Amino acid sequence: MTVTLRQMKQMLLGGADCVISARDELTDIDSRFGDADHGITMEKIMKALGKAVDDSGEDCTIKELLSGISMAVMTINGGSAVPLWTTFFDGLAEAAPDRADMTEEEFRAMFRSGYGTLFELSKAKKGDKTMMDALEPAVEAMGNVTGSLADMMKTAARAAEAGAGDTVDFAARFGRAKNYGERSIGTPDAGAMSMKYFFQGLSEGLDRDQ
Amino acid sequence: MKMKKFLNDPNTLTAEMLEGIALAHGDIVDVLPGNLVVSRTLKDADRVTIVTLGGTGHEPALSGFVGDGMLDIAVAGDVFAAPNPQSCFEAVKLADRGKGVLFLVLNHAGDMLTGNMTMKMCNQAGLNVRKVVTQEDISNAPRSSADDRRGLAGAVPLYHIAAAAAKEGRSLDEVADLAQRYADSMATIAVAVRCATHPASGASFGDLGDEDMEIGMGQHGEGGGGRQPLKTARETIAIMANALVKDIPLQKGDRAFVMVNGSGSTTLMEQFILYKDCVRYLEGLGIEVAANMVGEILTVQEQAGFQLNIARWNDEFLRLWNTPARTIAFSK
Repeated sequence: MTVTLRQMKQMLLGGADCVISARDELTDIDSRFGDADHGITMEKIMKALGKAVDDSGEDCTIKELLSGISMAVMTINGGSAVPLWTTFFDGLAEAAPDRADMTEEEFRAMFRSGYGTLFELSKAKKGDKTMMDALEPAVEAMGNVTGSLADMMKTAARAAEAGAGDTVDFAARFGRAKNYGERSIGTPDAGAMSMKYFFQGLSEGLDRDQ
Repeated sequence: MKMKKFLNDPNTLTAEMLEGIALAHGDIVDVLPGNLVVSRTLKDADRVTIVTLGGTGHEPALSGFVGDGMLDIAVAGDVFAAPNPQSCFEAVKLADRGKGVLFLVLNHAGDMLTGNMTMKMCNQAGLNVRKVVTQEDISNAPRSSADDRRGLAGAVPLYHIAAAAAKEGRSLDEVADLAQRYADSMATIAVAVRCATHPASGASFGDLGDEDMEIGMGQHGEGGGGRQPLKTARETIAIMANALVKDIPLQKGDRAFVMVNGSGSTTLMEQFILYKDCVRYLEGLGIEVAANMVGEILTVQEQAGFQLNIARWNDEFLRLWNTPARTIAFSK
């Protein structure tokens, strides 16, 4: 299995579209224990991603594509989500090959690097009610799939969805919602929900390409 | 209730405000791309300089404290949201006049993430910068878990004390150590009686009803757990000052700095009544109030309530405090 630059772009644009369509839902979740701007911030981040993909040109490498996205996201003003998503894309870029295609193993390693780099900054683990609750199971699931890229991304999206769903039962340990502790139980984490939609969109973007 | 504010476009609140600041106070600051509010004294500075970052909507903080004897650069984000790491990195680079930069960060999730990323970029670029975090809100964690304490208005007097030390020609390590000592010597607690609305979305931060106040409420309306029936100024000060005195801790014979910081809708009349009650309360414990700030320093839009900040002061803090400053919102 090989992942091409074109497939990578389609996936990323699919991820951006899916997060942007969930804007109002994300803001609504954030209004309960945050400051009601998460959907707005995610829309800004995903639009910057879209523009970076559009600007990347036909003959860039996957590393250049992801570095460009990371740089574009870094210049947005939007609170916590900006350094977190910048770092995630930076982690992907770090492990991505400086070529226009990559092997299945490189593709998996790239997502493991995205997760690992984000963990270094956030220190949040599964169960802390953050975006990591969706990301960690998604990256883990990718390692257990043998089959097509489409199968792998569908499995990852399902794992991210389940992980984001689990956050309903958790008490927040990070971010502003932390101040509400147990009172945050019953509401999903907005960051985990964006990550869920991002993985859903990665998978849908791939379908669109075929 | 529908939001009633004089605004144009929810998407350009920060940009329009910064344009207004530049027009109103162009003799004190320049506003540069990336939402950098820069002191006009920076270009001639031959000393350690000071940079901070933070969301908008808290005016006069943080941009209002840029100028001679306080901040050299404040990087503004968006409403209640931290600025991006790239702008902060550019700010530190611009601020560095060869003697190093003190980078002050209030302990909030977004500010800290941006602050940590900025430090990583600065270190990679070989810049001489030290970060000091203020985290003095006693309502949500004990002093032993200071990393969980939010950074509130207590950072503002520190701007002047650190800047005064920098002007004396002290090294970056000396200024940063002094700032850390100051951060460790203070404590803040907030109370709200009516919540703010987010000026971009119009969403309310909560509802405290007609009868209640919430002690411990954070800077963005985050709950603090101390909801109780509204009390008189004197009774409220007794609860809050008592908690601060124990936390710092202050003892008979100590000297203190007291700040009453109006959150936005609490009148100056109330703030002076509260300040008087705090001075009298501390006098009763044998603690002398040596310096103060009373007024709107770090607001939360139209939230009604106030933050009470108390710090244990020594001769050094007092001497540095009594030096000149000229900023948008604070002059001495």
